[in-house]
Amino acid sequence: MSQKHGTWDWMLAVDFFFSGMGAAMLLFAGIAEFVLENGYLSTIGIFAGAIFIMIGSGILIFELGRPFQSWRVFMKPTTLMSFGAWNMTIAIGAGILLGTTWINLFPWFGIIWIRKILALVCIITGFIVAAYPGLLLAMNKARPFWTGSGMVVIFFVSSLLTGLAGYMVCGLFGDASPVIYGIFPYVAAGLCFLQLVVWISYILSKTSGISDREAITTERWIKGNYAAPFKIGVLLIGTVVPFILFVVPNLIVVVIASLLTILGGLIMRNLVIYAGQDRTWLPGEIEYRSKLPHGDEAFLQKVWTKKI
Amino acid sequence: MNTLDLNQEGVEIKKSVCFFCHQNCGCNVYVKDGEIIHFEGDPEYMVNSGALCPRGNVNLIHLDHEARVNFPLKRKGPRGAGEWERITWEQAIEEVGAKLEEIRKDFGAEAVATAGGTSRTDDWARRRFMNLFGSPNGFHNAHLCWIPTFMVETAIYGWCPFEIDLGMSKCIVLWGQNPGASTFPEMSALSALKEKGLKIIVIDPRYTESAAKADLWIPLLPASDLALALAWINVIIYEGYADYDFAYEHCVGFDELTEHVEEYTPEWAAPLTGLNPELIREGAIMYATNKPGNIQWGVAVDQMGKPSGATMHARAILRAITGNLDCPGGDLLTGPSQEFITDEEMELNDALSEEQRAKQLGSDKFKLLTWPGYSRIAELTKNYWGKAPTAEWMCEAHPPTVYNAILTGEPYPVKALLVSATNPVNSYGESEKVLEALKEVDFLVTCDYWLTPTAMLSDYVFPIAGSFERPTITSTYGCSDFLMCSQRAIQPMYERRTDFEFWRDLGVSLGQKENWKWDTLEDAYFERIKDLGYGVDSYDEFVELYRFHFPERQYYKYLERGGFATPSGKVEIYSSVLEELGYPPLPEYIPPVENAIDHPELAKEYPLTLTTGAGINPFHHSEHFQIKELRFIRHEPYMEINPETAAEYGIKNEDWVWIETKRGRIKQKAKLTEGIGPGVIYTERGWWYPERDMRDPELGGCLESNTNVLTSVADENCDPITGTWANRGLLCKVYKVENSEVKGVE
Amino acid sequence: MARYVMVIDTRKCIACHACTVACRVNNELPIDMIYNPVTTVGPEGKFPHLRMLHIPLLCMHCGNAPCVSVCPTGASIQRNDGIVWIDEKKCVSCKACIMACPYGARISNDQTGTVQKCDFCKDERVDQGFVPYCVQTCHQNARIFGDIEDTESEVFRLINTSKTKGRLLEDLGTEPGVYYLY
Repeated sequence: MSQKHGTWDWMLAVDFFFSGMGAAMLLFAGIAEFVLENGYLSTIGIFAGAIFIMIGSGILIFELGRPFQSWRVFMKPTTLMSFGAWNMTIAIGAGILLGTTWINLFPWFGIIWIRKILALVCIITGFIVAAYPGLLLAMNKARPFWTGSGMVVIFFVSSLLTGLAGYMVCGLFGDASPVIYGIFPYVAAGLCFLQLVVWISYILSKTSGISDREAITTERWIKGNYAAPFKIGVLLIGTVVPFILFVVPNLIVVVIASLLTILGGLIMRNLVIYAGQDRTWLPGEIEYRSKLPHGDEAFLQKVWTKKI
Repeated sequence: MNTLDLNQEGVEIKKSVCFFCHQNCGCNVYVKDGEIIHFEGDPEYMVNSGALCPRGNVNLIHLDHEARVNFPLKRKGPRGAGEWERITWEQAIEEVGAKLEEIRKDFGAEAVATAGGTSRTDDWARRRFMNLFGSPNGFHNAHLCWIPTFMVETAIYGWCPFEIDLGMSKCIVLWGQNPGASTFPEMSALSALKEKGLKIIVIDPRYTESAAKADLWIPLLPASDLALALAWINVIIYEGYADYDFAYEHCVGFDELTEHVEEYTPEWAAPLTGLNPELIREGAIMYATNKPGNIQWGVAVDQMGKPSGATMHARAILRAITGNLDCPGGDLLTGPSQEFITDEEMELNDALSEEQRAKQLGSDKFKLLTWPGYSRIAELTKNYWGKAPTAEWMCEAHPPTVYNAILTGEPYPVKALLVSATNPVNSYGESEKVLEALKEVDFLVTCDYWLTPTAMLSDYVFPIAGSFERPTITSTYGCSDFLMCSQRAIQPMYERRTDFEFWRDLGVSLGQKENWKWDTLEDAYFERIKDLGYGVDSYDEFVELYRFHFPERQYYKYLERGGFATPSGKVEIYSSVLEELGYPPLPEYIPPVENAIDHPELAKEYPLTLTTGAGINPFHHSEHFQIKELRFIRHEPYMEINPETAAEYGIKNEDWVWIETKRGRIKQKAKLTEGIGPGVIYTERGWWYPERDMRDPELGGCLESNTNVLTSVADENCDPITGTWANRGLLCKVYKVENSEVKGVE
Repeated sequence: MARYVMVIDTRKCIACHACTVACRVNNELPIDMIYNPVTTVGPEGKFPHLRMLHIPLLCMHCGNAPCVSVCPTGASIQRNDGIVWIDEKKCVSCKACIMACPYGARISNDQTGTVQKCDFCKDERVDQGFVPYCVQTCHQNARIFGDIEDTESEVFRLINTSKTKGRLLEDLGTEPGVYYLY
């Protein structure tokens, strides 16, 4: 079928993935500031969080038709996408600044009230950036797989899980608070379980369908072309296996589990984004589009030169 | 999108027409400094009221398309090699003229033949040239399109009722016609009238765009129309629906007919047509009781080969016995124009000697559309109407016989073929033979817009002016009593000229100067209309001020004129003209040329029934495949097959399949549809691939998906009356194209 | 205030695709871009008892246009007369509107990096007092354009008198401005 419609693709999936993971990492850093005794989680983790959001938004810019005009997406903050862009930008700034408060090269090193304010900003924007992609998809009534509040939960849970995983991987490369390998694996295991439940209920609720079109679009997840990557990639490798590994008290195993959840999160976002190409097809539309040329046909390529 | 100021200074609006089919939809063309800046459908033109079909919309793309032929071309290198030398129009004419003179000297004028296409040329000029040159061997695809209908009907009741009085009609039979894909203005009128209660009956093996809007769809087997028509006559007579007053008072042969059709009951027709007898009855009664009613001409009946003439005869009888002739709301016998100079009067037919007429190829076998039958018809119509039908079209050489003469030299050699506005390899029957003939003929000249496969094989190619570059008179092959006139918007671009200029210049180069006194086509047109009494000084002035000439509509002319233009002055159900020519005076049943009942051996190998040649949007015949804006809508050829039959042969939707008859095979993609009955196959017509290598032997893949590879032109399959050959009602088989063979298709 | 709508009489449409070509040619669309496809449903049923319908599509110029409310740049705009259009200067092709549109009416143009769609030919036609090109070219009169607020208009009459009418995906709450008669 001709895909000349131009729908969202892997670039947006990667953006959502990195932004979600980074945002959750900043969210955790912010929470740590208020709940942990010294407020410290991992400097490298905080920076990684901000950088992940930067990577995500960078990819998003290249996904635009006109990247050099990307500033225009800030123009209507009342729209969800614009609101998300503002929050990502603020989160990146707040995250980087928060990271610097833990480095003694900077004059504001150790100034608690600055840290607290930045942490608060990180909590708010981190929460928003971790959750809004799900909402962005859920609002599209025209995309039967996305529509409904379930997508928000799915994205938020996955962001939290990969955020935790991010810390557990980053912990290998620098100073890390003991909670990272102490409590985080168990929280992650819990989130894996939650992710499994959320996904199963989501698929079930879609198939038992509010509408026929939701049931139809979900078929590919159960027995169609998404079934294998979904069941093996997302549910088994990205959820069930790490659920088991996280409770093994071994650093290497926990890091492996973390990497698996990250992989699962990446696959999941790709599947979800591409599932959005299933619009609610209008009567006769599939047949019509299937007969259109793809673009590489000889008659389209042919160039006549006015010579005769 | 830029907003164009059409009111700016210096912009002229020209009253032109689209020229991509013979509907000729009116266009307002905005011209500034000799260039077209915009055009749109003319809201005041009654045919289209401002609308345009997909083709109409691409006029400006067509006008200056990169693939157009813009200059006269002379072949360098071998035929079909695609090496051309650009020469002047004058040089090209002079050289072609000299060559024709040489052929005439060595082989006689009849050794020069000319092939035409649809009625989108000034073929009175072609005929005038040929008559003066001395050859009777001009032809078109006339045999496949309306002309046989015209001549058979004229034999029966003195003219062809192509004017239907639809506005007052209560029922229309679309017999093998699909205006929903081919005649949009008509379709629009039908839809509007349907809302007011017009009954629409569609007779078609396919569930067409028109069938989908009909009150009754009669999906008969391809080419079984004669059985259906005879059964309808039977029902109408024997179940008491005939107009007995009209039948006895104004017809001859009603009693003979009654006896003749006694056995042709719906039950008899049922197995032959594949229809339920009740459906046959229902159709007959719907037509006979919703009066006045019309039977619209459809191309299908012209393309069945052997049964065609008898079917036309039976269809004509249906009109007569229901009293639907020349009455308000019925099928009108308008006759030729009494007022302007008709095409026939421009043709100089008297210039062709009896001796040359007798040499017309095919006239010994198929007599009605050749000089023997035409002379008789012309005599009758001249006596009655004062004028004869156009000879070009109505009196032509039999095309397959001409191609055969090229190949065999029998009955005499044909050495030159002048091709104008046609691509014979895709348009005439049994393409492989036609292609052979095009390669074999000594001298081939083509007048066209494009380098078609035929043009590629030519010695000379002349660039022809098209839509908006030429004036146009629309007059139904020169047989209407009305005129619709349009002007050119611009002078032809590059070195293109009209086909009129081609024939005139060729004639002048061959010593016909005193017979070609017109400087321009407008001058010639003006001569035709100047005595209409509009007081105009030029053709363009007529177009700008009046444009149309419609005489007042007259009904029941036979009452006033004392009968019909036949030997007896009545509607000759029992046709003396056909009898004189040696044909059955009443329509006897003739089965489709290939069918399982009469040809069980053939049916073993080729078990399916084929129908070819229906019109498909957005193309016209074999045209417009170059135009990407149209091709995008439908870029590959599709054959249609019932899912049940497809399953039997392991064919799935979108598979490339071979369709094969005794003559050859082609490939098209499978469209599985319930819109065609089990056991019936339909193929699209016209297909070639201008994007491919156009040189010989590839020639744009002109045989690959070309439905005419499958059709039959054998003498025994042609209609003995009219010579029309068989595009429908053939036996075929289908099978999947193996993956290894798909290459080159996609 | 005017509210422009289109009424499509599927009883008349024959899927000739004139509207598709007229739109493409007059709006100078790239070869692979179609604002107004005409789909065919059927033949449905079993030979010879069939039905078939052709459905011309286009932007529905929704009363509650989801594409406008998601646009982060303000490029997607709805005029007071209901016409939804894209200010291409402002569009960066984030495709949020493409995803939001239930009717497939929006297409991203790789060459310009913007999204395009049917705007009822507002500049060249409607604002000059003419009907859109697709309506003008339709010889079957299957597309009828007009102001639904004008009680004298044909669209008002058709919408208010026809018993067999509907709009596509009405349950999504988009309030489409295109009505289908069948």
